[in-house]
Amino acid sequence: MYYIPGLTMTRSLLFLLVVLAIGFSSCNSCKENKKLSKEFDIPDSLKEDNPIPISSAVIDNMIGNIASPIETAAVIKGLNIGFNKDLIAKTDYADNFNTNFHKALGLGMYGCDLGYLNMYGKTSLVIDYISTIRNLADGIQVGQFFDFSTLKRLATNNENIDSLVLISQQSMTRIDTYLRENNRSNLSIVIVAGVWIEGLYITSMVSQESGHKRMREAVGEQKEIINLLMPLLNHYKKDPNMAKLIKDFEGIKVLYHEVKITSEVGEPTAVEENGVLTIKSNDIQTIDISDETLAKIIDKVKEIRLKLLKG
Amino acid sequence: MKNKFLIFAVFLFFLGFSGTAFAQTEDELVEICGMIAKEATYLKDFKIRLDAGDPPPLQRFSVILKKDIKYRFSVCNSKDLEGKVILELFDNNRLIATTYVIATGKDFPSIDFICQKTGAYHLSFKFKDGKPGLAVGLLSLVETL
Repeated sequence: MYYIPGLTMTRSLLFLLVVLAIGFSSCNSCKENKKLSKEFDIPDSLKEDNPIPISSAVIDNMIGNIASPIETAAVIKGLNIGFNKDLIAKTDYADNFNTNFHKALGLGMYGCDLGYLNMYGKTSLVIDYISTIRNLADGIQVGQFFDFSTLKRLATNNENIDSLVLISQQSMTRIDTYLRENNRSNLSIVIVAGVWIEGLYITSMVSQESGHKRMREAVGEQKEIINLLMPLLNHYKKDPNMAKLIKDFEGIKVLYHEVKITSEVGEPTAVEENGVLTIKSNDIQTIDISDETLAKIIDKVKEIRLKLLKG
Repeated sequence: MKNKFLIFAVFLFFLGFSGTAFAQTEDELVEICGMIAKEATYLKDFKIRLDAGDPPPLQRFSVILKKDIKYRFSVCNSKDLEGKVILELFDNNRLIATTYVIATGKDFPSIDFICQKTGAYHLSFKFKDGKPGLAVGLLSLVETL
C-alpha cells in the first residue's frame, strides 16, 4: 500500500506543482507569441502602397453583415426553390487568383458558394470548396482562422449540417475580424465585395429561372447594399485592382438608378409568447423593378462575375 | 486529511496550468450565446467590452437586415464582470427593439425581430447602470417568411 509522505513532503509537492503550472502557462504564452510574430512577418502594409486604413471601429459600424451568403441561400430555400449546382463558381477558376487582391476576392466568392452549399446540405461538394477556400486563405496569411479540419470532418461524415454552417460562418467572421484588426481592411472589403457579387449572381439567376416575385425583389433590394458598399471600396480606389473593381461595380450601380424603393414607417408591435419576445416592425417596403431593368442587371452581373472569375 | 491536502494541491495544479479556462473567453461566450439562440442559424457575433461609466458607455454596430426574415438577437454576459448587457436595435434613430423592457424591468436573453424593410439597422450595446462588463451579442436567422 502506498502512503503519502509527511506534510513537509506534501508542501514540497504543492510547490513543485505550482512551479510546473507557471512553467506550462509561460510555455503556452511563448507559443502564442511565436505564432503571432510569424503572422506579422510580411505585413501587407509594407508590401503594398495602401492608403491610411479605415479604423476597425469605423468598418464595424459600416460593414456589419453587408453581404451574407446564409441569408441569400435561406431566402431561396425558403421559397422551396431547389439547389442548382450550375449557379456556383467552379473551383478551377481559383487558379486565376494570383495576387492578394484576387485571392481575397475569390475567398469571398467561394465563401458565398459555401454558404449556398451548406444551406442545402450538399456535403459531397463542400470538401472541394473548403479546400479551395483554405488555399486562398493561406495565400493571404489568414488560413489559421479557417477551421479546415473540423469542416472537412463534418462534411466527410455528413455530420450535423448546423455545425457545418456555424463553423463556416465563424471562420469567415474570424478572417474578417483579423484582417480589420491588423490594418488589412482593404482585403476585408474585397472579401465582402466577392461575397456580394457572387450572392447577387445566384439571386439574379434564381430570379430569372424561377420568375418568383420575392427573388425579383431580392435583386432589387441590392440597391440598398451597393449604395453602402461603394463608399467602402472607393476608400481604396488608389489601388489599381480596386479601381477596376469599382469601375465594374459602377456599371451595376448605374442600372440600379431605375429601381425604385419606397418605405412607409410602421409602429412596431411586440408579443411575448413562451418567454420569447417577438417584435414586428410593421414597415411597408415596396421594391419596384421593371422587366427591362431586371434583365439588364442580370446580364451585367453575369458579365462582371465571369470577368472577375477569369482574374 | 493528507489525502484532502493532496487533492487540493492537484486542484491548484490544474488551476495554474489552465488558468484561462476559469476566465470566460469571448469565444466561449459566443458558444453559450449560440445555445441561447437555440435552433436559429448563426450569422454574426458582436463582442462587447466596456468600462464603467455614467452615462453608461455604448458600443455600436451596423447590420443589414433583410425583408421577410425573422432574426434572433441573443445576448450573453461574462460571469467575470458584473455588468448585464442591454441590446437596443435602432432603425435610424428610432428604437424598435430591446432586450431590456424598462416598463416591466424584464430582461430577455434573446428577442426575435420580424424585418419588413431591407436596409441598414444599428445595434447599440450598453451595460445596465454603467457597470463594467464583457458580453457577446449574436445575430441569427430563425426563418424566412
